[in-house]
Amino acid sequence: MPPEPVRAVVTVILGLYLVGLALCLAGNSGSGASALVRTVKSRLFAPWMGPAWLDLGHDVRLTHGQPDDADHRLELRPWNEAARGRTITYPSAGMHGERAARWRRLALAIAVGEQDPDREGLLPAAVAVGGFRPVGAEDLSLRVLREILPESADVADGVARRPRFEQAYAARVRRVAGDIQLLKTEDPAELAPLVDEVKP
Amino acid sequence: MTGPFGDTVAGGGQPDSRRPEDSTRLENWISDAWTRFWFTPADPRPLALIRIAAGCLALALWWSYAADLETWFGADGMLPSRSLGSWRSPWGGSVFDLAATPRMLRGIHLVGGVVLLALAAGLFTPVASLLAPLVFASILQRGPMLAGPADDLVVLILWCLAIGRCGDAFSLDRLFFARHANPSAGSFRNRIAVSLLRVHASLLTIAALLAQLKGDVWWDGTAAWWLAARGGDRTIDLTGPLAASLYATNLLTHAVTLFEAAFAIGVWCVPLRRLLVPVAVVGWPLVGLLAGEPFWGLGMAILALAFREAADRTGGGILG
Repeated sequence: MPPEPVRAVVTVILGLYLVGLALCLAGNSGSGASALVRTVKSRLFAPWMGPAWLDLGHDVRLTHGQPDDADHRLELRPWNEAARGRTITYPSAGMHGERAARWRRLALAIAVGEQDPDREGLLPAAVAVGGFRPVGAEDLSLRVLREILPESADVADGVARRPRFEQAYAARVRRVAGDIQLLKTEDPAELAPLVDEVKP
Repeated sequence: MTGPFGDTVAGGGQPDSRRPEDSTRLENWISDAWTRFWFTPADPRPLALIRIAAGCLALALWWSYAADLETWFGADGMLPSRSLGSWRSPWGGSVFDLAATPRMLRGIHLVGGVVLLALAAGLFTPVASLLAPLVFASILQRGPMLAGPADDLVVLILWCLAIGRCGDAFSLDRLFFARHANPSAGSFRNRIAVSLLRVHASLLTIAALLAQLKGDVWWDGTAAWWLAARGGDRTIDLTGPLAASLYATNLLTHAVTLFEAAFAIGVWCVPLRRLLVPVAVVGWPLVGLLAGEPFWGLGMAILALAFREAADRTGGGILG
């Protein structure tokens, strides 16, 4: 057993850490956090727990059956189909395990990041610029494809299960005179239908 | 006069006069329980076992970065440091930020791998156990959007290992430098490390459970289907059997929820713990496989190992 002064010091440190841990769990949940928890955590604990990768909520929800819970993949190809270059998909067919999972997380981060005004456009632009060389073109189409989760009835009815994907995010990224331009593109399927002009 | 707990009550037995001594008793009980839980010297062998398992898991996760290191973190990579501002902690930094050339990047990655290997093997463990969480946190800080739940868990386990004397058993250090030392010599540092791992095991399970229960699918019993239906490169494909039976899907969903709830609370009850820990060591990897997060499942199983006591003098236990 350590001497009393050592126990006292360690007790204070443990107490501080446990409070910090509780605030991190409460402050990083997917449901948001109160202003009080957010402020106390960010001022007193995040400065030392953040760099140690301890400022986390550990809210591993596994699934909520939502589109975001499906697998995502990243596709880079030359914008102009006729131009030189090749189409690359991440994770590619040869990738497995945790390596493939990291690519799927990156694709998801691009799709989800677009809903955050502070992050909008940053990640897709960076990823596309990094993809200029592998693709072999400086005018790219970047797409995040999301797998459509099949209903159990479809599988039970013997309908062959082929992975089907929908577009979660798409942008054209190009370098023009040294500047990077990102032009977000919409999925044609999601565009509002044209309405006939109202006739009197 | 004697009080209800056999203590002497001052003041001729007046009810109010008992309170200070009762409160002192409560304080002593809390203080004793706290001291026992955090400071009783503990055998290093359970911690050493966790060190080996966590070191191997950390190495596997570290290795998963190797093939795409330059694609992600290179000078012309997809994740340049300058565009990570809103993903990274404002106080966060990474040693990988210093890599100006592909060779430096590879070198840093290699050194990190050697540190994790040293930890798993128990070589220069006091230094390796301190460096391991630093290098692992460093690669996660370099690409926060690539990190998964298994990475979060491993960093936490590595920090706990850094506190204890996890190289005192089952290690090359012991083989080379302390062959004649008593392998079961306890240290309060081991107790702190194991107790922290236990607290984390329970709290993290509660956090995951609460996050899951926010979704309707965990209540209507279809979560297992949505887990199995997700594509990716699955080790096991349960879509056929689950699609054939709604009840089987419901049963599996509720089994996962009940297992997590039982683990989070039951491990604090000693008789239940003896049953739950072996179940958890098998159950967590199975949940991880079902969820498509096998490394996270393994990490949770490693945390569950913290509830196993070392072999006592009568034998038995995981190391007996």
